Amino acid sequence: MNALLLLRKDLRVLRRSPFLLLVLLAYPLVIAGLVGLVAGYANSKPRVALVDEDHLPSVLVVGGHRFRVDRTIDRVSHDVKLVRLSPEEAARQLRTGKVVATVTVPRGFAADLRAMIRSPRLVLQTTQGGISPRVTQQVQALVYSLNRELQTAYIESNLRYVQLILHGGDGSFLGRNFRILGLDGTEQVLRQLPRGRQLDEIRRFVGDARLALAQTNGALRATANPIELVQAPDRGRTWALSAQVQAYALALTISFLTLVLAAGALAAERDENVIGCLARGLVGLGELISAKVMLAAVVALFVGFAVAVAFGLIIQVGDVTGGEPWSRLPLLCAGLLLAGASLGGLGTLLGSLAREARTASLVSLLVALPIVFLGLVPREIVPAAGYLSDALPFAHAVRFFGAALYDASPWRTVAREAAWLAALAAIFAGATRAGARRLLA
Amino acid sequence: MTPAQAVLSARGVARRFGAQIALAPTDLDVGDAETVALVGPNGAGKSTLLAILAGALEPSEGLVERREGTRVGWVPQRPAHYARLTARENLELFARLEGEPRPADAAARLLASFELPADGPASGSLSVGNRQRLNLAIALLGDPRVLLLDEPTASLDPGQRRRLWERVEALRELGGSVVFATQNVDELERHADRVVALRDGTLVFDGSVADYEREPAVDLFA
Repeated sequence: MNALLLLRKDLRVLRRSPFLLLVLLAYPLVIAGLVGLVAGYANSKPRVALVDEDHLPSVLVVGGHRFRVDRTIDRVSHDVKLVRLSPEEAARQLRTGKVVATVTVPRGFAADLRAMIRSPRLVLQTTQGGISPRVTQQVQALVYSLNRELQTAYIESNLRYVQLILHGGDGSFLGRNFRILGLDGTEQVLRQLPRGRQLDEIRRFVGDARLALAQTNGALRATANPIELVQAPDRGRTWALSAQVQAYALALTISFLTLVLAAGALAAERDENVIGCLARGLVGLGELISAKVMLAAVVALFVGFAVAVAFGLIIQVGDVTGGEPWSRLPLLCAGLLLAGASLGGLGTLLGSLAREARTASLVSLLVALPIVFLGLVPREIVPAAGYLSDALPFAHAVRFFGAALYDASPWRTVAREAAWLAALAAIFAGATRAGARRLLA
Repeated sequence: MTPAQAVLSARGVARRFGAQIALAPTDLDVGDAETVALVGPNGAGKSTLLAILAGALEPSEGLVERREGTRVGWVPQRPAHYARLTARENLELFARLEGEPRPADAAARLLASFELPADGPASGSLSVGNRQRLNLAIALLGDPRVLLLDEPTASLDPGQRRRLWERVEALRELGGSVVFATQNVDELERHADRVVALRDGTLVFDGSVADYEREPAVDLFA
């Protein structure tokens, strides 16, 4: 009951501090925007060195096709920015991290390419850890695009040989010119010969071979592309309004807000010299901490709800694909309360450690940033960040919000993340209570 | 006075902050309608002893006993109220926390009695004198039997001091007890029945004002 009185007091004080409220609301939204920009930057092309040890000519003829090397590279390098460097400079820049990988064209590459007898090789070297798995994927995509360009030339070249076998004529292989009779010519010659069992067998073989080779075109293309990916016209919603961004924006906003509020509000009781008065039997320290956790939960609910409604209105007005799942808002509200309480628990812990409101606010701001960024680091890239993030509320809030809003069957994820958030709230609030005597000293 | 007669007793209470001893084990009994002055230089342990008696600070050792049903009001040296709430809002909040049956009435009565602005500016914007009066008004919520004052007049002008002591005297006339910390010899002589002197966290004198003035060894203001 007394905790509710203090909660009412805190909300009244908050209402009387419109500038603080404005800054607390605007700050996380600005940070959310900046994080969005950083995420966009993360999607930009990494710089990759191209070391040409084979001194590729400007025009390369493969299977009768002429490839302008620079134009071809520009056309296929969607995901990386290729820069031509000498082997020494590439090695130096790889060491300093100025390029994230080097792709080396070894000697004999063009000759192998023209000969079409064995696959020419490109050598990839990347930095260690960090984004190297992603760079490897992007260079694989580059090689895939190059192979697609080349395979057309290879297929047509092979088909020319098949046509020669079928119809006969002049050809060349490995620089040697030749003339062949072809199956058509063979058939004509066979017709002029007298019939006989052995000759009939040869005639049948020539007929079967002609039929089989007539299918070569489709078969060659099919074996070159066992599975072909065809990109349909854009149907998903824009990145800025995606489920993931909405979940991140909500979690980020309430993380900053609730951490600073809970830490500042608890430390302010000491700054205003009131905590001693309360502790002498009016309000227990546990009740005082509960009041601040409730404050964080209530503010998270109202602010998070307002942000979700704003997102929803933009989506509805813009007639964005998928629409806003309005019916899921009650589930989202439950998540906002839990996440607010969990972050509030952490905030009170920071407030009790810092003891002074100004220090508490500064410390909680400093702590909020790494918590948020830890939650943004993909677990696949830095597993340790994932484990650390599990011990903090942000990542659980993101997963809860994402599932609550957009999963077809959210209950399993929601239940798991709700349990995490509740447990973290209890742990942080319990730790604050254990050390709360510091506030009275 | 025996402990049984005391309305408020400290039994061997001590307080350490890390390695620093703020208050060595101390015994103190406060009787009915008694006014006790706590004297001593800065850092002697007066505020620590008062905070322990108020229940705002846990002693590192010893215990504080109150007669059954005794309510204690505490006026800390630095005002203890919410700066962004008005005087009325502060009084109503603390009245509710004290369990006053009619918090709005209690607040209105104290506002009128202490001539505080009811719905004026936030209490953080009040004058030093008004803030201290609000501090005292909050301490009087719940009709305390014992009032603990920590240098209550340190920042008040003579007129404000006089009015504050009038209210303290009124409480005493109703049978209440008062313990106040002071460094003002004049207040000691005018308002105290008994003097308790502390030095470096240790109780060095406990007796009448007359005995204290006759004892040069413990005259801390000499």
